[in-house]
Amino acid sequence: MKELRIESVTKRYGSVKALYRVELTINPAELMVVMGPSGCGKTTLLLAILRALTPDEGHIRIGEEDIDQIPVEERNIGCVPQDFGLFPHLRVYENIAFGLKVRKYPEVKIRERVNELMHTVNLEGLESRKPKELSSGQKQRVALARALATDPYVLLLDEPLSNIDEATKAEVRINLKTIQKKSKITTICVTHNPEDAFNLGERIAIMHFGKIVQCDTPQSILKNPRNETVRKLIAPMYIILSNRETGH
Amino acid sequence: MTKDKFELGIIVTACAVVVYMLISIFYLYVAVGESWSLVWSALFESRVHGAIAISVSSAFIVGALAIAAAVPIAYLLAYKNFLGKGMLETFLIELPQTFPPVTEGLVYLLMFRPIGLAYTYMAVIIAKFYVSAPFTISHVTRRFKEIRESGLDVMAKSLGAKPRDILSRILLPLSSRDMLAGFSLTWARAMGELAATLVFAGAVPWKTEIIPTLVYLTAAETPEVAIAASVIAETLSILALLSFKLIARERP
Repeated sequence: MKELRIESVTKRYGSVKALYRVELTINPAELMVVMGPSGCGKTTLLLAILRALTPDEGHIRIGEEDIDQIPVEERNIGCVPQDFGLFPHLRVYENIAFGLKVRKYPEVKIRERVNELMHTVNLEGLESRKPKELSSGQKQRVALARALATDPYVLLLDEPLSNIDEATKAEVRINLKTIQKKSKITTICVTHNPEDAFNLGERIAIMHFGKIVQCDTPQSILKNPRNETVRKLIAPMYIILSNRETGH
Repeated sequence: MTKDKFELGIIVTACAVVVYMLISIFYLYVAVGESWSLVWSALFESRVHGAIAISVSSAFIVGALAIAAAVPIAYLLAYKNFLGKGMLETFLIELPQTFPPVTEGLVYLLMFRPIGLAYTYMAVIIAKFYVSAPFTISHVTRRFKEIRESGLDVMAKSLGAKPRDILSRILLPLSSRDMLAGFSLTWARAMGELAATLVFAGAVPWKTEIIPTLVYLTAAETPEVAIAASVIAETLSILALLSFKLIARERP
């Protein structure tokens, strides 16, 4: 369990500021949701944490360690991208085992860990399937198991529910929360969907035009939105909550 | 109605081109006509056998070398940014396909004759490699770039993969079909190469004489030998290309 600290991170694309002095601290084992409209810089933030891109300014720390100079392969950050990013030529078992194999774990340990994760994410019996033979929900669980396999310090989830059909969304949401709680991995999840954000996050950081405009618990944000931008972004939640109260 | 006529015009034009191309490919078999017996006997000539052996073996070697060359070049072009990268890509892939092969043969003759490589089997390989390898390099480079754009390599890195893991566990397995497709085109192009080989390697039977040089040199005096060699070359090329395509059909 480690803390993730994003300190004044800025990333520009030409004159556009994709991230502007982003400050965010995610507590050890916390599930933080970054919510904002498309193009607000959420994915850029994840890529900066992963170091798939280099920020122009600022620092990222995991625990006490400044990871700016650490390459992607040594950061030990798990990632589940929006399209799941499964290796199409590898079977489910091999996808989950990938990180352990490249780290040269003994074969017995790999088998043990993969079987444990297959059980955790409820994928038993699917180990020899190729990604193209899986539903989107199953693909996501494989991607999650693969990201968790190496016991990462931090887990990044990019729009984890956007490719999941409505019928299974609620179940997937609960699964995600349960697995995150169980694994106790500091997690940052980005989404554009207020309902997903408020159902998943222990705290929510609202992002707009590359800036964090408010970061608080879901209840506090609903009670005290900092400004009109936040109020507009979370407006669908007021409707959902009032529908729930009136039983619609 | 106007739209239908327009579409009909396109289809008729396409059909005309298809017929022209198919005739160009298969006319040789018709042209043999009544000389099949002469062609048949020419098939048993030692010089024809030598040309087939040199052509086929050198084309396979060039195909294998092209794959060995394509992987590092594709990695460089897909993953590294440097000044003049676009220009280098043009020089490695497009220029060899458009550069006059006869000129390249002369360049190699000037470069390698002093060290005794001219008119040797090695000269056949060198000449064929220059004009044929770009097909494989182009296929593999395009695939490596596609994989990079898909972000799969970043996923692999986030799981701890080093460049050698990414190459061996992601790039190579996901490019195997493209390598085979590139190999088949390189092989076919190497089989048909004439000018650079003739200038640099000459046409010494059972040493450097390949089917195209045999056809070129015998067409006037012993046309049946030229026709026999052409029939063999064309049949081999068609069969090999179809087989390679069949193997490379499915992508994981």
